Amino acid sequence: MKRKALLIAVLAMVLVGGLMATAAEYVPGTPLKVGFIYVGPVGDYGWSHAHDVARQILVNEFPWLTTVYVESVPEGDAGPTIDKLVNDEHCNVILTTSFGFMDGTDEAALKYPDVIFAHCSGFKREPNLATYMADFYQIYYLNGLMAGALTKTGKVAYVGAFPIPEVKRHLDAFAIGVREANPNAEIHVRWIEDWFNPAAAKEATEALIAEGCDAFAFTEDSPTVVQVAGESGLISFAHYSPMYKFSPEYCVSGELVHWETIYEDFLQKVYDGVYTAHNLQNVDYWWLLEQGAVEMGAETGMPINPAYVDKLKAAVVDHPTLGKISAYDLVETRLNQMGDPGITFDPFQGPIYDRKGNLQVPEGMWMSVDSLITMEWAVQGVVGPWPGEP
Amino acid sequence: MGWESWFISTFSRALAYGTPLLLGTLGEIYAERSGVLNLGIEGMMIMGAYSAFVTAYTTGNPWLGVLVAGAVGGAFSIIHAFATITLKANQVVSGLALTMLGIGLAGVLGRKWVGLPLFSSLHKVTIPGLSAIPIIGPGFFKGQTLLVYLTMLLVPIMWYILFHTRIGITIRAVGEDPATADSLGVNVTRVRYLCVIVGGVLAGVAGAYLSLSYRPAWTEGMTGGMGWIVIALTIFAFWNPLYGLLGSYLFAALYHLSYRLQTWVSPELLKAMPYAFAIIILVIVSRGTLHKRMGAPAALTLPYTRGEQ
Repeated sequence: MKRKALLIAVLAMVLVGGLMATAAEYVPGTPLKVGFIYVGPVGDYGWSHAHDVARQILVNEFPWLTTVYVESVPEGDAGPTIDKLVNDEHCNVILTTSFGFMDGTDEAALKYPDVIFAHCSGFKREPNLATYMADFYQIYYLNGLMAGALTKTGKVAYVGAFPIPEVKRHLDAFAIGVREANPNAEIHVRWIEDWFNPAAAKEATEALIAEGCDAFAFTEDSPTVVQVAGESGLISFAHYSPMYKFSPEYCVSGELVHWETIYEDFLQKVYDGVYTAHNLQNVDYWWLLEQGAVEMGAETGMPINPAYVDKLKAAVVDHPTLGKISAYDLVETRLNQMGDPGITFDPFQGPIYDRKGNLQVPEGMWMSVDSLITMEWAVQGVVGPWPGEP
Repeated sequence: MGWESWFISTFSRALAYGTPLLLGTLGEIYAERSGVLNLGIEGMMIMGAYSAFVTAYTTGNPWLGVLVAGAVGGAFSIIHAFATITLKANQVVSGLALTMLGIGLAGVLGRKWVGLPLFSSLHKVTIPGLSAIPIIGPGFFKGQTLLVYLTMLLVPIMWYILFHTRIGITIRAVGEDPATADSLGVNVTRVRYLCVIVGGVLAGVAGAYLSLSYRPAWTEGMTGGMGWIVIALTIFAFWNPLYGLLGSYLFAALYHLSYRLQTWVSPELLKAMPYAFAIIILVIVSRGTLHKRMGAPAALTLPYTRGEQ
C-alpha cells in the first residue's frame, strides 16, 4: 500500500515536472517578456546597476517588450529564481547576469528547452542558451597609458576585487598600458576579495596611498576608490558607471559599459525569429570597443577629463614603434586602432613575458578569446600579491 | 617606506574606520547592560546612513544630517523596544527582523539617491598645535572629522555614567536582576526603553558617519556587515565603554593593516585576520572564571514580567 502511494507520488511529480517543462515556445513577432536576474542590488552603482540601466533603455525602445527583474539573487539560487520567472511570470527570455549563475542557468536551459536563455560572462552554451560579455580590457589598457604618463611617483595602484581571470586580464591590460607610457613604473595591487565592499575598497586605497601610489584604477562596484583618491588629490579612473562627478578634478577617465548594445541586438533577433530556442549553441557575444559595447571615459561622451587634455598633450612618450609621441596622441592612436572596424592593435600583442620571465604571448601573436578568459599570469611591472599565479 | 608611514596610516585609519564601530558598540553596551540584546544594529545603522545622506544632500547641512540620523535610529529602535519589552517577544528574532527591515527599507527608499556625490559632507579638521607634532600629529590630529573626536569624548562620559552614577547603577541593576530592581521602585520598562533608544540613536549616528564622512555617498547595503562586528565588539568590550574604544580601534587597525601587509601575507588569510582576532577574544572571554567576573548581564535576552521568576 505504501509502495503504491509512493509510486503515485512519483508519477504525480513527473507529471507536474513535465507540465512545468512545457512552457510554450515564443512565437516571433508577438509581445516578448524578458526576465533579468541580478546578483547585486540595482542600487549598487556598479555591475547590476549597469545592467538595469540597459534594461530601462530597452523598455523605452521596444514597444513589444516587457521586462521583470529579480535583484540580489545569491549565486547558488539561479535555479529556483528561474523556475519562478518561467512558471509564474511566463518569461520568454531569461538573462542571468553573473558568472556564478552559470551552472544554474545551464541546468534550467535543459529543464526548459523552449525558453531562451542568455548568460553573461560564462562559457556554457546549449541550443537555447547563449553567452555574452562586454569586456573592458582594451579600455583598461588605454587608462593605463594615461596613468603611466601622469604618475609622478612612478607607482600606480590597482584595487582588485577577486583574483580571478577576468580581473587579472583587466589588471594586466592596465599594467601593459602603464609600462608602455612609462617603462619604469610599477603597478601596485591589492585585493579586497569582494565585488562590492566600500569599506574594504577604502582601506585598500588608503594603504596604497600610504605606500606612495598616486594614480588609481580598480574593480569594485562603488565609486569609493575615485572618492578616496580625490580626497587626497590623486588621480583615478572610474569603473563601470559614470563616476566623473564624484571627483571632477581628479577623475581622468574610466571604463563605461553599454549592455544595451548587446541586449538590443539579441532581443531584436529573438523578436525577428533569427534566434530561437534551437540555434544558440554557438551564439557568444564578446563585444568590445569596435561594437560600441564599451566606452572610454568617466562620463558618457567625455573620453578624457578636459582638465587633463593639456597635461597629456605635454607628456611626451619615447615609444619603441611610434617614436616620440605625446601621451594624448598615443591614447588617440590606440583608441582608433581598436575602435575602428578591422582592429589593427591589441594590448596583448606579443611578445609578452609574465613577471616571472616566461614568454606568454610569442612575437607577432594575439591572444585568443579562450586564452584571454582563462589567463592567470601577471605581466611585468605588477608588484604585490597574485593568488593563483602559475 | 619608513616606519613613520606605518605608524601614521595605522593610527589615522584606526580612528577613521573605528569610529562607526565605536559608536555602535557604545550604544549596544547600554542596551545590553539593561538586559536587551539588539541585533538590529545593522538595520538602524543603514537607516541612519540613508537619512543622513538625504538630509545633508537636500539641506546642504551635514550636521543636520547627523541629528536626523540619530533621531531616525532612535525611532527605529523603538520597534525593537516595543516588541521585546512591552510585547516580550524573543529579542534575537526581533533584532534580526529589525536588521532585515532596515536594509530593505533603506534600499527601496534610497533608490533614487544612488550615484549622487555629496558635496556637503562633514569637514575634515586639523587640530591646531597638536597636529604639528611629528608623526603623532598626522596620525591622530589631522584629516578626521569632528565626529571622530566627539565619539572619543563620549567614551569616558558613558563609562562614568555607567559605573559611577546612580543612573548607571540603575541600568546595571535592571540588566542583572530586574525583579530586585523593580522591588526597589525602579521602572524596569522605562529604563530598558531608554537604553534601547540610546543604542538606536548612536547606531543612527554611526550610519551618518559612514554616508557623510567615511564615504560621502549613498549606496545600497553600504554598511556591509558593520552592525555584526559591533555585536562581537560589545562582548569583546566586557560591556565596558573603555574596552569598547580599545576593541573598535584595534579591530579597525587590523582591518587596515590587512591591506598594507598583502605584499607579504596572502590576501585571503589577511582578510580573515580581524575576524579571527574577534573570535579568539570571544573564546577567551567566555572561559569559566573570567566569564563569571566580567560576563554578560545576567538578565540579558530575558523579558521581565512582574511577579514571574
